[in-house]
Amino acid sequence: MNPYLSMRGITKVYKDMEVPANSNVDFEVKTGEIHALIGENGAGKTTLMKILYGLELPEAGDIYIKDQEVKIHSPLEANRLGIGMVHQHFKLIGDFTVAENIVLGIEPKKNLFFVNREEAIKKVAEVIEKHNFHIDPSTKVSKLTVGQMQQVEIIKMLYRNVDLLVLDEPTSVLTEQEIQRLFETLRYLLTLGKTIIIITHKLNEVMEIASRVSVMRKGVMVATRNIKEVDKKELARLMIGKSVLFQINKEIVACGEPVVELKDVTLYQRGRQTPLLQDLNFSVHSCEILGLAGVGGNGLGELEDILSGLRKISKGKIYHNEENVTNLGAEALRNRGFAYVPADRLNRGSSLTTTVKENLIVSNHHSFLSRGVIKRKMVQDFVDTLQKGFSIDGDPDKPIGTLSGGNIQKVILARELAGKTDFIIFSEPTWGLDIASSQFVYEKILEIRKQGVAVLLISSNLDELLSLADRIIVLYKGRIVANRINDDTLDNEGVGEYMLGLRDDFARKGDNHGE
Amino acid sequence: MVSGMILPEKGITMANKKSIKEHLAGAVGLLITLAAAFIIVLILVFLLSKDPLRTISYFFSGPFRNKFYFGNMINASIPLIFTGLGISLAFKSSMFNLGGEGQVYSGGLAATAVCLALPLANPFLGSIFALIAAFAAGGIIAGLSGVFKMAWDTDELITSFLISSALILIVDFIITGPMDDPTNNLLATSPIPLQYRFLKIYPPSKLDISLFFALFFAAGVYFFMNRTHWGYEMRMCGLNREFARYGGINVGKFMVIPMILSGGLHGLGGGFAILGTYDMCLKGFSGGMGWNGIAVALIAKNNPLAVIPAALFFAYLEAGAKAAMLHSDVTFEIAAIVQSVIFYLVTAQALYGLVSSKKRKAL
Amino acid sequence: MSQSQFTFPLIHNAVAIMTPILLASIGGLFTELGGMLNIALEGLLIIGAFFSVVFASVTESIFLGVILGICATVLVALMFGAITLYLKANVFITGLATNLFASGLTIVLAFQIYGNKGIVRFPNIHRLSTLDIGNLQRIPVLGDIFLGHNMFVYISWLLVILAYIVIYKTSFGMRLRGSGLNPSTIVSLGLSPRRYQLWSILISGLTCGLGGAFLTLNLGAFIPNISSGRGWIALVAIYLGNKTPLGVLLASFVFGFAEAFSNYAQGAINVPADFILSLPYIITVITMVGFSIYRYYRGLSSNHG
Repeated sequence: MNPYLSMRGITKVYKDMEVPANSNVDFEVKTGEIHALIGENGAGKTTLMKILYGLELPEAGDIYIKDQEVKIHSPLEANRLGIGMVHQHFKLIGDFTVAENIVLGIEPKKNLFFVNREEAIKKVAEVIEKHNFHIDPSTKVSKLTVGQMQQVEIIKMLYRNVDLLVLDEPTSVLTEQEIQRLFETLRYLLTLGKTIIIITHKLNEVMEIASRVSVMRKGVMVATRNIKEVDKKELARLMIGKSVLFQINKEIVACGEPVVELKDVTLYQRGRQTPLLQDLNFSVHSCEILGLAGVGGNGLGELEDILSGLRKISKGKIYHNEENVTNLGAEALRNRGFAYVPADRLNRGSSLTTTVKENLIVSNHHSFLSRGVIKRKMVQDFVDTLQKGFSIDGDPDKPIGTLSGGNIQKVILARELAGKTDFIIFSEPTWGLDIASSQFVYEKILEIRKQGVAVLLISSNLDELLSLADRIIVLYKGRIVANRINDDTLDNEGVGEYMLGLRDDFARKGDNHGE
Repeated sequence: MVSGMILPEKGITMANKKSIKEHLAGAVGLLITLAAAFIIVLILVFLLSKDPLRTISYFFSGPFRNKFYFGNMINASIPLIFTGLGISLAFKSSMFNLGGEGQVYSGGLAATAVCLALPLANPFLGSIFALIAAFAAGGIIAGLSGVFKMAWDTDELITSFLISSALILIVDFIITGPMDDPTNNLLATSPIPLQYRFLKIYPPSKLDISLFFALFFAAGVYFFMNRTHWGYEMRMCGLNREFARYGGINVGKFMVIPMILSGGLHGLGGGFAILGTYDMCLKGFSGGMGWNGIAVALIAKNNPLAVIPAALFFAYLEAGAKAAMLHSDVTFEIAAIVQSVIFYLVTAQALYGLVSSKKRKAL
Repeated sequence: MSQSQFTFPLIHNAVAIMTPILLASIGGLFTELGGMLNIALEGLLIIGAFFSVVFASVTESIFLGVILGICATVLVALMFGAITLYLKANVFITGLATNLFASGLTIVLAFQIYGNKGIVRFPNIHRLSTLDIGNLQRIPVLGDIFLGHNMFVYISWLLVILAYIVIYKTSFGMRLRGSGLNPSTIVSLGLSPRRYQLWSILISGLTCGLGGAFLTLNLGAFIPNISSGRGWIALVAIYLGNKTPLGVLLASFVFGFAEAFSNYAQGAINVPADFILSLPYIITVITMVGFSIYRYYRGLSSNHG
């Protein structure tokens, strides 16, 4: 049978980039299959799909839909050809309703200029009904859960009658349960005769949902395989060209004294009745990796802010080595040996337009002063040492934004691990990083654990969390609902249940579960 | 130990030749801007003057024709250096000081008031007090906006403008009312005592030693921003406030301090103008110094050292327009039109070729 | 129209005075909703003021004067918008440039055409006619607000309603708001946010053209920099009015009232003119700070509690 989609000889070069984003890429998708497009960051998969969706124009190459050559210059044209895309970062307007978001750009009109609201809601409701989603078209998008927002994106495409649906890293923001729901939806769409391309770097999911997989590396299409013919190891090898082993062998290290302790920590926000964090009681010990799990919006971000001194708590106490450090600011905490590798690398963890050098010294620039003036030689020596120690590739006098994602994270790591630290927070440390950089990060985390540092690891990657952590706590609606040793009785599903409020080890009698 | 260690991927490094390309693009852009200014002057003069060649000749060469014009042109650049420095410093810290006009004016009045209140003091000390007062006046006014921003996140762009606008009216009132000197026929205060007036260095023009102070401050601001502790922290706040806060920098402090320093520099500009050039606080003497300071900072791309040539350029434009006006039949305001064209072009990134470079997906 | 025919002449004057501010802020509202900071309102008012009175004088027709004045203003707005959006310039700076341009151009032209750099009088322009309905004007408050105004006032109210309809009921309004709230969404749909933003700037040119015309046609003269800060106040009105047409209407009234009051106080109380004139600015600052404090304690601002 002829392929549904055929892209041939696609080449795309971005200005200022040395390696072409796409280099003579051939890509074929059969009707009615789920085809995974995988590759490391920067491999060119998103670029290829952007070209398919009309968001970019290639320097060379052709696209064929059902053997007809097509030229796609804009998403509108792509839609007309039956191609739809669900982006990694949702393209939704929070203040608008579901219906408004879905019809935006092709609004049903009355009297030429006016949007026919009733018609829009009716038509959107029809589509929602037909495909068994359960979303009210009149709700504001900002009030939906992340999983529901993604559903709106999918409905947006179904509303436009697409036959080929491309999803870009769709699971990076979903919980386990939401991921399963998504896969159900995708399988359902197949029964309608749709064809699906899913861009991802999560090999587990590829093995679970796809029927065929294409691998890209450094802008080149490396291979296409049937899922039945490969395993994760083979795919990983194709992705990075070398052999990779997946095991992280953790030594059992004797646990030490509590370094950081939280007692009854509560955080209110002005104007809201329910506290963002409620009665938190836990501690992080030296030589321990404490894993923290939870769905976004349940208090993890706030806990991160508090423990790094960026936010004050309303009630309770925080202790560091038995001394009260409640509500001391970031500067004071850093002087005491707190370090912090934030999830938000680009805004919080670094300043993209500033040089690598200046990024490296932000938390300890005081130590380079002599009479108020920054000593340049001292800074240079410091930077050189770190660059070697962490194998950072890049010119230290260039803006850090010119470095690859992996190297930026290394700069942040280098900086945070440079001083005398006894407590460090890692938040989503390997999000978006390629396998090699992730390995590097895991190495470092285990290394400092062995050196006696207390580590708080916040991650939405449950595989990562369960491989590294000695103990796991889960936050749900601002409360701790689990505080368990990470042993064989705990698995992804189990943690997922806590994350969704389906299980609560600390519930008091009379509490409602899973509100 | 993590088994199966993989060597890290080599990140793609930018070749050094790019920075040369960047500089070249920047220079070309600036050239286009200046050429456009040139051409606009030509067009305007040809359209508006009955004797275009004479007008043009006065416009471009007028400021150089004699010591008087030339010295006064350099003199006119001095307040612009101060206001340009003030704006650059604020911009680098990501604060918008739109109250320059009022800050310069108030600074001038404050300096005048101190001089008039101390008619017999040592000239050296008296001048210093006067200048401190000028700095304080501008600094407090701008600092107020900084405080509002720090405490309650009130937009400093709008508050600095509003406060300054109100203050201009109040200073107007003071000059024409309680402090007005009835013996001269001007809307101005009494002249300041002779011993405070700065030495003129290029008679018959009004160019005085304030010039050296201006250059000194330019170097000082440059050193401060790039080599000191506070300067580093202000720049980090300017580039990415979230990052600065995360790194332990007190971002609130560095919302207020840049505004105080910026306002202070503006105030100093006013103070030096009084002590060096005007000898009394004239109503409206500072008109345009604040706005032009913004233009100067723009052309100088917020680099304190580049503020000097940028200020000179603006002073040249205005001096040329003045000369053309005095000796020919055009009106001074054509300078405003030329200045607006420069504003437009200097900020049009497309001219600098900086537009389409795709930011690397740094995730 | 004699003042004494109104029960509360203060209110009546406030409504009239607020009109140029309201007109400017309606246009500015569109730009703001599109996500752009428009500080060129001040300059656009000046352009509208100058060209409408000049053309009205030349053509001996108020109507033509207004139309041509609006055309001129929209042209300048086009220059402002095109350079900002298509040459990728900083909107704040180009706004300043536009103001500078407008101020300089009008003075240069006034000097060139009428040989006068100061106030240019147009003797053939008479005060605009007003809607006089004798006794009805004595109705307290309602009469003061609604009656006895010239057509610009009524047009401005019409525009508020029109603005509401366009912003919330048309696809243009929806896409404009989308461009301001999340431009990447608009792009992903194959639309261009810049297009809607440019239209919003042209709309601000239209309303400022009207606002400027109101200033000069009512006066029969052009004064250099006649807008005297109204463009800036319009900007503040947009923020105070929470970026909605109704809010902008109310905020404009507040400023109109402040100015009317300061006019009244100047005549009635022996306070220096400058002080009175500075009151609107001071009141605005106090209002803004008060508003910020309110937002802060409601947990709405970005400073965490």
